[in-house]
Amino acid sequence: MDGNTVLLVTVVATALAFDFTNGFHDTANAMAASIVTGALKPKVAVALSGILNFVGAFLSLSVAATIAKGIVDSSTITLTVVFAGLIGGITWNLLTWYLGLPSSSSHALIGGVVGAAFIAGGVEAVLVDGLIAKVLIPAVLAPLVAIAIAAAGTWLTFRITAGVSARVRDRGFKIGQIGSASLLSLAHGTNDAQKTMGIITLALIANGTQSESAATPFWVVLSCAVAMGLGTYLGGWRVIRTLGKGLVEIEPAQGFTANGSSTAVILASTHFGFPLSTTQVCTGAIIGSGVGKGAAEVRWPLVGRMAGAWLITLPAAALVGAVSFALADGIGGAAGVVAVALLASAFIASIYHRSRRSSVDATNVNEDWTDYGVGPSGPAPMPVLETVLEDVS
Amino acid sequence: MDKYIDLPALGQVLLASVVGGIGLVALFAIGLRGLSAAQDDGHNSGYLVAGSSFAVVLTGIALGLYALLAA
Repeated sequence: MDGNTVLLVTVVATALAFDFTNGFHDTANAMAASIVTGALKPKVAVALSGILNFVGAFLSLSVAATIAKGIVDSSTITLTVVFAGLIGGITWNLLTWYLGLPSSSSHALIGGVVGAAFIAGGVEAVLVDGLIAKVLIPAVLAPLVAIAIAAAGTWLTFRITAGVSARVRDRGFKIGQIGSASLLSLAHGTNDAQKTMGIITLALIANGTQSESAATPFWVVLSCAVAMGLGTYLGGWRVIRTLGKGLVEIEPAQGFTANGSSTAVILASTHFGFPLSTTQVCTGAIIGSGVGKGAAEVRWPLVGRMAGAWLITLPAAALVGAVSFALADGIGGAAGVVAVALLASAFIASIYHRSRRSSVDATNVNEDWTDYGVGPSGPAPMPVLETVLEDVS
Repeated sequence: MDKYIDLPALGQVLLASVVGGIGLVALFAIGLRGLSAAQDDGHNSGYLVAGSSFAVVLTGIALGLYALLAA
């Protein structure tokens, strides 16, 4: 196995690892509401979502190496840049998962690539116009659109079903939730698996293994679908908890409406080519469904904390991407990439280890929400950013 | 502004989202209301309302999926 192959294999493996983290980070988007209202049992929900994400990955036909197109100068993109970008994305995904904060995997990935490209090619490598148009503006618009639509939908739904018996309402909306959550999982698979397929294709092209005009190889589609499906099934329970119980205490009617609006917005944006982050849309919809019932339904401080995390996603991931690239490039060649991959693995292991102390899983995801906690009888409180920083310093 | 936002695409996304995200959702709610009127209050016409509402919702979903996947 020559150095080049080692490099390529490491990059592809890292891309699949990113896809896996995308999977478990985003399970919450589709399934949190259904799990929390009892429309679906936790394990059933993540299994269903896993399968649909897997299927969805095959349905996206327009796969292109476009994740960084128009955002980063394509001549800067080498295997090492792609690798460093992925490390940035994975790191941020894991950190936000640990904190139980919904966060955009796409922005993390883009941030990582931008950071790495910046070190590799200087300021000219970053196409600021593209960044603004394709990332920053959608980042503001997506949640706003989602909040507005979900709020309107929820308000309307509550008005329409005002006289309906609790029995029909509960049962009816729970069944509706299963449908809308399934659609959302499908939409997510269609939308998000593309990103990793694009990255791997990009790596293959950069390595010369494949020409730019060739179609994406089937093994790429399959492996990305599997990685995403598995990650989804593992279930980011910490994020599910925040999205399902932390931001808004969701009722079936709200869950149904939030999922329905998210699906519509995501499918529409994929179709019309307007880039949006699935996480930001879904989170916005959940918040909107709270607003639609009454603004006091929403835990705004938590929203604030999450918005803060969203704001720093790009720069934080860029920082990690930049450092990763500098390290990998500094050591040079395949050895550099492997060295950084090992460092990243150590980081992943330590985050996972810490997370065991305040573990959230299928059994306690529905416990009463206490700020940063799982309830008096549950395990230790979930970490807060402040205490994490204390521990680290 | 045009340089940064693809306004036509945004408009289409908004329209589709309103139809799907609010329209279909509201229709489903109407269906439930019809169901409740039929089952709890004995107005059998409620079943007709429910049936047609759910049928439209399902058709809307099928159309939406087709439009997306056929692209």
